[in-house]
Amino acid sequence: MKTRLKPNPRPVALLGAMVGAFFAVSVSAQQAAELPNPEADILSIGGTVTEIVVALGQQHRLKARDTTSTFPPEVTSLPDVGYIRALSPEGVLSIGPSLILSEEGAGPVEALEVIRAANVAFVEVPDTLTPEGILHKIEIIGEALGVPDRASDLAAEVQAALSDALRDADRPEAEKKRVLFILSTQGGKINASGTGTAADAMIRMAGGVNAVTDYDGYKQITDEAVGLAAPDVILMMDRGGDHGAADDELFNMPAIRLTPAAQTRSVVRMDGLLMLGFGPRTAEAVRLLNSALYDQDM
Amino acid sequence: MTAVTEIEIVARDRQLQARALHWGLAGALVLACLASLQVGATEVTLSAMLAKLVQGEALSQMERVVLFDIRLPRLAMGVLVGAALAVSGAAMQGLFRNPLADPGIVGVGAGSGLGAILAIVLGALLPAWVIDLVGNQMVPFAAFLGGWGSTILLYRASTRGGRTSVATMLLAGIALGALAGALSGILVYMANDTQLRDLTFWGLGSLAGASWAKVLSAGPLILLAIGAALMLGRGLNGLALGEATAAHIGIDVQRMKSIAILAVAGATGAAVAVSGGIGFIGIVVPHLLRLVSGPDHRTLLFNAALLGAILLILADVIARVVIAPAELPIGIVTAVLGAPVFLWILLKRRGLVDL
Amino acid sequence: MSLTAENIRVSYGPREALRGVSLAAQPGEVTAIVGPNGSGKSTLLGAITASLPYRGTVCLNGRDIATLKPWELAAERAVLPQASRLAFPFTVIEVVRLGLQSGTAGDRPEVPMQALARVGLAHYANRTFQELSGGEAQRVMLARVLAQVWAPVERGQPRWLLLDEPVSSLDIAHQLQVMEIARDFARAGGGVIAVMHDLNLTALYADRVAVLASGQRLAFGSPREVLTDDVLSCAYGCALRVSSPPPVGIPYILPHAASA
Repeated sequence: MKTRLKPNPRPVALLGAMVGAFFAVSVSAQQAAELPNPEADILSIGGTVTEIVVALGQQHRLKARDTTSTFPPEVTSLPDVGYIRALSPEGVLSIGPSLILSEEGAGPVEALEVIRAANVAFVEVPDTLTPEGILHKIEIIGEALGVPDRASDLAAEVQAALSDALRDADRPEAEKKRVLFILSTQGGKINASGTGTAADAMIRMAGGVNAVTDYDGYKQITDEAVGLAAPDVILMMDRGGDHGAADDELFNMPAIRLTPAAQTRSVVRMDGLLMLGFGPRTAEAVRLLNSALYDQDM
Repeated sequence: MTAVTEIEIVARDRQLQARALHWGLAGALVLACLASLQVGATEVTLSAMLAKLVQGEALSQMERVVLFDIRLPRLAMGVLVGAALAVSGAAMQGLFRNPLADPGIVGVGAGSGLGAILAIVLGALLPAWVIDLVGNQMVPFAAFLGGWGSTILLYRASTRGGRTSVATMLLAGIALGALAGALSGILVYMANDTQLRDLTFWGLGSLAGASWAKVLSAGPLILLAIGAALMLGRGLNGLALGEATAAHIGIDVQRMKSIAILAVAGATGAAVAVSGGIGFIGIVVPHLLRLVSGPDHRTLLFNAALLGAILLILADVIARVVIAPAELPIGIVTAVLGAPVFLWILLKRRGLVDL
Repeated sequence: MSLTAENIRVSYGPREALRGVSLAAQPGEVTAIVGPNGSGKSTLLGAITASLPYRGTVCLNGRDIATLKPWELAAERAVLPQASRLAFPFTVIEVVRLGLQSGTAGDRPEVPMQALARVGLAHYANRTFQELSGGEAQRVMLARVLAQVWAPVERGQPRWLLLDEPVSSLDIAHQLQVMEIARDFARAGGGVIAVMHDLNLTALYADRVAVLASGQRLAFGSPREVLTDDVLSCAYGCALRVSSPPPVGIPYILPHAASA
């Protein structure tokens, strides 16, 4: 994820500094990576925010991104300012953005204060896990980028696609499959989604039922509760690698072995940003997940 | 019956060496500070700014922000935190007569960790006026209260009839650490995803949140505590002979223990509060210095303050430069650099290092 | 000007280790405390050095030690503990200097080397303390103690050496050396109190002997008065005969016959 456009000579410069020859440090070596476009002035923080900027046709204005901004793949060649909640004030300023678009929750607070002190505009994009929330994000970002018309076009498009997808995905309660979203199975411990999460919202939008409704958020769940949840399908994030082996391991976990999902070996893996991002591609995600849940060939 | 000629033997005085080291380290600290102001993610450099000033030009807004709002407070915090951790480590090792002791032994680490986790996970549940009062300094504030509070608790629990049992304190510290760990575990279970990542980053430590407000709130306490610790040199030397002997050579052992514990709780509590958990400085720095100039605490403590500051500043330079524009948690850098160096020294001096 | 302990009582929990023991030591003399294991010898020295809580009164050169600060005590008396474990790799000379810092010879930097030479270890000055053998370590500690009260008399006041089994881990030659240092200190006007295990060395070097048994003082006086068949047999719980050579044919070595 730490893609850089050219090798970074700074560690060498640092050594120079350490032996006292710090005035000789190569200043020019610290130039930001060469940029594809001189208009670029935006630092986009948050995978979905970046997606929306691109969907609004403003990709040429992106100057840098955060670690979670990985779609479309072209943006990964931009400099990466790190994790949203651990931003480096000087790192952000070194990008030289005139506007920072950020998901909710950027930090630390001190870094944001310094960035504001340097006269960089900062727009926070709220995150709501509903179709309306997505439209709201698009409006805000369109406004901030000065392209409100494109934003309302995109919002209309997204709204139409979403309502189609939701209508197609919906089905009678009795037919709905119970879906267990597993965030990780690290060390044999199952961390599963309860209610109030993006996964929960996505399962419901795609015409499923969240198998776990006893708690909020992502938590480690006991083996027996997994049995009680009786999921028909297990939903996970696609992290690459050998799915066959991973499936064998998954369905051999004591907690999962006896669930209906294990009997039918039903597991769905989706790209995390696509599934949980609540952005322009959410309609696509709803359709994908819905067909993965209900199409016979699954 | 004693051979009088033996008196011709010249006793080596490592104190002279250690005092020379004061100057060497002070010089190195100045260089490290200049290096820290010189480099960063932006192309702003100290040398360029100085050149501008000499020619009477004004600094750009970017330069002012980078120098005065980012690098200087960060440098000040690095110096304070590095010195605090190293001096606390040296003082704890002297007090517990164990070169592996660190401030964590008196419960500062566990307590401040618990405080930080409480603030991160449950901070939003506090009444609004409390949140308004502490503002965004809630985590440092809670970490400090937790660290200080747990040390005082341990100290009082292991003091009977005006005598503090260091061994009781050590064992009670382990118990308190386990309890704090369990409480932290419960909170971690309650935490949401974002809070979990905050906790991880807090535990790795960083100077990224440096601000003048933090420097001004933690600085006086850290300086006071370091100042108090620096006066413990003779007492800690005596304590190397054991508590009874220390008293016999004229040291007020109980008073010294109180000062040492309170100073360490203050310095470490404040340092951890503003920078999170930064490991290794407290162990490596005193150990390195003992190898170079002997274990005499009269010079060791001061040299530790200097070397701790130097190492933390340099680690921070690395942390903010290697993956710029992003930055590494500094705890990772101190561990990655500190651990191999430490191991190398130990192996090189094998047989001569006496724990 | 003397060191007196009056009616000293010390309890370890419910057990009373000292049950009202008194002792008066004079400067210019070596006062030995002897007795079987568990008789309270070291406990008595602990009370005299203020290392443990006691009831009764201890006066050092006329002043109650309970009213003195640690550094005031340190200027008038030095204490050699039974065994010393040292944290951190100090060199031998650094250890001896620890004694110097606390006494009143602080402005005489040559004292530590002289003290080391006095115990015959000047050539070890730059070694690490941890490298020493048990006996060497004990002599270095003695040097540290000597450095602390280098002048046996200071401003007309005697200073005191309080030694807890000073020869316990030494060979016979060094036992004699250490006892001679103690006696010389006393002859120069200082006071010495030593807890002793070795009755022969006690007989040879002590001017006064206190015999303890079961936390009480059984006898106090010159070696001739105190080291008798009756007192020793009673104290140690076995039949002892003073100044009786063993059966013919079994060699015996007494320090009395040694010459340097």
